[in-house]
Amino acid sequence: MSQSIGSQCNELKKEYDACFNKWYSEKFLKGDIRPECEELFKKYKDCVMVAVKQKQIDKLLVEARKDDPFTSSSSENKGKS
Amino acid sequence: MVKFFQHTFKYEYNWDCVTLAFWLRYPNPFASHVESVDVIDRYIDPNTGVLRTTRLILKRGVIPKWGRGLIKNSEACIIEESMVNPKNKTMITLTKNITHARAMQVEEWQTYRVDPNNREYTQVKTEAKIISNFGWGLTDRVELLGIKKFTDNTMKSRKGMSHVLEMIREKRGRGFMTS
Repeated sequence: MSQSIGSQCNELKKEYDACFNKWYSEKFLKGDIRPECEELFKKYKDCVMVAVKQKQIDKLLVEARKDDPFTSSSSENKGKS
Repeated sequence: MVKFFQHTFKYEYNWDCVTLAFWLRYPNPFASHVESVDVIDRYIDPNTGVLRTTRLILKRGVIPKWGRGLIKNSEACIIEESMVNPKNKTMITLTKNITHARAMQVEEWQTYRVDPNNREYTQVKTEAKIISNFGWGLTDRVELLGIKKFTDNTMKSRKGMSHVLEMIREKRGRGFMTS
């Protein structure tokens, strides 16, 4: 299992990743798209966001994510624009 | 200045297995420079049933010696956006660096599909765009580095994925995820 950006988030990450991997292979890929693991994700994400802020990459992250790369023509062009 | 690359590769594993390996690909022995991987956003688009994920990846030591005077912090942040459509079995991923982006921006798109010639295999198309803005003669050097890095990294990520795929196969037995 890979590490989290915040060492204090490693346990939460481990729990969430395990839940997601199971859901992904046993439910999602078999056509059941009802989400699971959401409580675990919320706790894990809250922890990660604190670490991201401490590392001062929160602003970079917001900037990098302001456009959705998969909407409109961009996913068709796949970076060729 | 902009450069493009494109190539196609085939994994001898089915699509379900390869897309699972995509989530599990770190850590692996070919990616020792990856320090952390975190999911920072994930949801299912209610209209399409597509799984959308954003991950933040931290890598260290990505700057060559001669470039360290130009770039102080050798840690690099990578953002990975992805969409998985389980109905038509298509996964599209985009990775790009968000730190050092003024020096060099590398955007890599990958499309994972069922191999049209063999349903038990997976075809991956990789397209990359490298943009650098250094100027004063450094641009060529930076772009050459970009090209070299890109080819090296492509080989490494393939080896890494194959390693993870073998682990999945060993763990779950040969019949794992055959549909």
